[in-house]
Amino acid sequence: MNKQRVTKLAEYVFTVWIIVTINFMLPRSMPGDPFLHLSADEGEEITVFSEEQRKYYLAYYGLDRPAGEQYLSYLSELLQGNMGYSLYYNEPVSTIILRRLPWTAFLVTAAVALSTVIGAFLGSISAWYRGKWADKFLFFNLILLSEIPAFLLALILLFTLAAGLGLFPLSGAMTHFANYDSWLEKLWDIIHHVFLPTMALTVTRLGSMYLLSRNSMITVLAKDYLRTAQAKGLSRKRIIFSHALRNSLLPIVTRVFLSLGSLVGGAILVENVFAYPGLGHLMREAVMFHDYPLVQGIFLAVTVCVLTANFLADLIYRKIDPRIAG
Amino acid sequence: MKVGAVMFRKNLLIKIVLTLLFSLSLLLSGCGTDKSGNVKETNADGGEAQVDLIKLGGGDWGYPTPYAHYPRGPGSFKMAMIFDSLLERDEKGLIPWLAEKYEIKEDGKQYLFTVRNGVKWQDGKPLTAEDVKFSIEYASKYPMVSSDIGSKDIEKVETAGEKQVLVTVAQPSAGMLYNLGHTRIIPKHIWEKIDKPKEFTQPEAVIGSGPYRLTDYNKEHGTYRFEAFEDFWGPKQRVKVVEFVPVSESILAFENGEIDLAGVTPDVLSRFQKDQQYKIVKSPGFWGYRLLFNMKDNPILQQKELRQAISYAMDKNELIEKVARGAAIPGSAGILPPDHVMYNPKAKQYELNLKKAEELLVQLGYDSLDEKSIRKNKDGSSLSFNLLVGGEVRLAEVLKEQLAKAGIGLKVQSVDSKSRDARVLKNEYQLAVTGHGGWGGDPDYLSERFTSVSKGASSPSAAALRGYNNVELNTLLEKQNLAMDEQKRKKLVFDIQNILAEDVPEIPIYYTTGYSVYKPAKYDGWMFMFDHHELSHSKLSYLERN
Repeated sequence: MNKQRVTKLAEYVFTVWIIVTINFMLPRSMPGDPFLHLSADEGEEITVFSEEQRKYYLAYYGLDRPAGEQYLSYLSELLQGNMGYSLYYNEPVSTIILRRLPWTAFLVTAAVALSTVIGAFLGSISAWYRGKWADKFLFFNLILLSEIPAFLLALILLFTLAAGLGLFPLSGAMTHFANYDSWLEKLWDIIHHVFLPTMALTVTRLGSMYLLSRNSMITVLAKDYLRTAQAKGLSRKRIIFSHALRNSLLPIVTRVFLSLGSLVGGAILVENVFAYPGLGHLMREAVMFHDYPLVQGIFLAVTVCVLTANFLADLIYRKIDPRIAG
Repeated sequence: MKVGAVMFRKNLLIKIVLTLLFSLSLLLSGCGTDKSGNVKETNADGGEAQVDLIKLGGGDWGYPTPYAHYPRGPGSFKMAMIFDSLLERDEKGLIPWLAEKYEIKEDGKQYLFTVRNGVKWQDGKPLTAEDVKFSIEYASKYPMVSSDIGSKDIEKVETAGEKQVLVTVAQPSAGMLYNLGHTRIIPKHIWEKIDKPKEFTQPEAVIGSGPYRLTDYNKEHGTYRFEAFEDFWGPKQRVKVVEFVPVSESILAFENGEIDLAGVTPDVLSRFQKDQQYKIVKSPGFWGYRLLFNMKDNPILQQKELRQAISYAMDKNELIEKVARGAAIPGSAGILPPDHVMYNPKAKQYELNLKKAEELLVQLGYDSLDEKSIRKNKDGSSLSFNLLVGGEVRLAEVLKEQLAKAGIGLKVQSVDSKSRDARVLKNEYQLAVTGHGGWGGDPDYLSERFTSVSKGASSPSAAALRGYNNVELNTLLEKQNLAMDEQKRKKLVFDIQNILAEDVPEIPIYYTTGYSVYKPAKYDGWMFMFDHHELSHSKLSYLERN
């Protein structure tokens, strides 16, 4: 048992090291460097650095040293908890990430929770009424909804509910320069801002959660013990939500944790539509500007989140599946 | 079973149509709503009225110090709200600012600035000649993000008396006045202990002498709040508070009254054109695309006639119609755009003329066509090039069609813009398109781009032009750089444009002209700088003018 844990831990450490190494190499293999600008987006201003300035900055950030040397110093800094200094944002990478991470975490967690609960609920209903009108209706509409790309849905929501009806703010995560009378007011403001981005992410995820729980439920419903429950004359509600759903939860829980990584991808696009100050918004810019330390930092943060999610999935799986727990 | 399936499919079709109609109607209703924001009436008694608050589209462009703002985007203009320079830019040119006057001595070797009396830093301390000396020395030691003076440019800086600063430069240069005048003046008492200016982001780092103080900055939300500085030495602020808030869609935000000025694309221009409450302003064309020739590795491109033929085969107006949707000015063969203060209107231009293009190509020996209708010469080699672009695929495709009419083949290669920049710098291309701003700047950028004499510390864009050499042009470029007299210099720059237009070392494709919309009833003080295309960028836009 103990030995098993040690191997498991070693596995995680090894994975992190591999990823850290790839993180180091990938941005550097992109052509061009952070201080080379010959062109800009239309209408945008850039400061063209002279060759002298470019060399100054490359030396300043140690980017003129051989890659091996940079890699070793990156590793040793990282071991001391130092993620480096952002070339573009002029701030320690860890500070930037820690400030942005809560917004994305908030958005993604809300979307996961909502889509899982709603998806599992609708999936159960659909499974129970399998082949009937309600099932077909749900099936068709949810598949259709989930086929809309997250950013498009985000745009539609932005145009209709925010711009058209004025129900929600157009962008951001909070009202700017506001003085709140109470923390409740502040919380309300934050929820008001996060509502549309969350909705966009939730709806796009809903389809797959729905399908998963519908399938899982159908499998479970065919089991003998449910027939027994039915024969005992238990109410439909009770059979679905306390007997069947509990047993069909396994794949759902696994999926929730495993899909956290892919959710960040959807969050990037949605955050960009709503100018939401999360990691996704930041990632796009870091890659665009070739900000090596920041790209490395964000990818590392995301990796750690995904690995943690995997680890949690592992733990919970043991808890709810009696066959593994032991 | 079969019937059921058919029914289901029929339902499916109806549902799809209904859903599409529904979302379409949502989209349309969203676009159609026109909310006029709350217009605040200002008393129109002369220029005395001060507007309380102007809101503009924001985003994080860095902490507004001369070192910590970002090299991309409008960060430098936010910084300039707080930090003054010796000279400022208005519609026509450089004007005295922190320096109430200046003198150029020893044929451009020395500059004598007289610092204005009674200027205060935002912490109450007086600004002195010593601060100016310190700033110029500091900037040449640690390059400021948007300053052009480097360690090699400045020989020495001395104070002369209480109020004067004498700068001796290493090389006389016409652009030096602009570079010195543009350098931000920072308080010595705050910065003298700082040796990592990029990392200096304490509250005192944003103490300047400018018309506005930074009262709020939020990096993660991308918001800035500037408040008028009461002890500012100069013209009174017409706006008390300027706020920058991030917006997802600027037109929507403008219509909802969330911001007071917005850039408009030609497609939505008509929404504002008929309404009297809006004013639309067209920007000068100081942002442009250019077609680069790699003359070093392609001897064939070294032939002037071939480059001219390509110019004749290009229909710039069609490109503007199709790609820029009308919002651009055709590129001028003399490189400087028509809005530039030293533009030569008499320089040769190349209107679309396929016949002339053909003649030139036949002269060069390309007198027959291959199976793809591309011209070839006696050796059988076809006149075809790779065209490297970043994101400008549409532009490249239209260009390809146009040149094909003259029998010139193009193969479009699209990569991300950083890769394109890197390949251009390393000369790994045949033809390339790049786009950038700054075409309204000091004409000395022509020497950076076209001189074949290595200046050592030239900008990377100069590297794009290896393999081109015109001795006469080199001489003229050097001469204009040494000409301290504005009129003499202008004449030289005119001659330079004539040579460039004849030689076609590169083709400016077009200069984009954006549109901005605002409500004059709310605020009407906007202006352009003589060399810049954005209304909200100059701090003079927020000050009283006379």
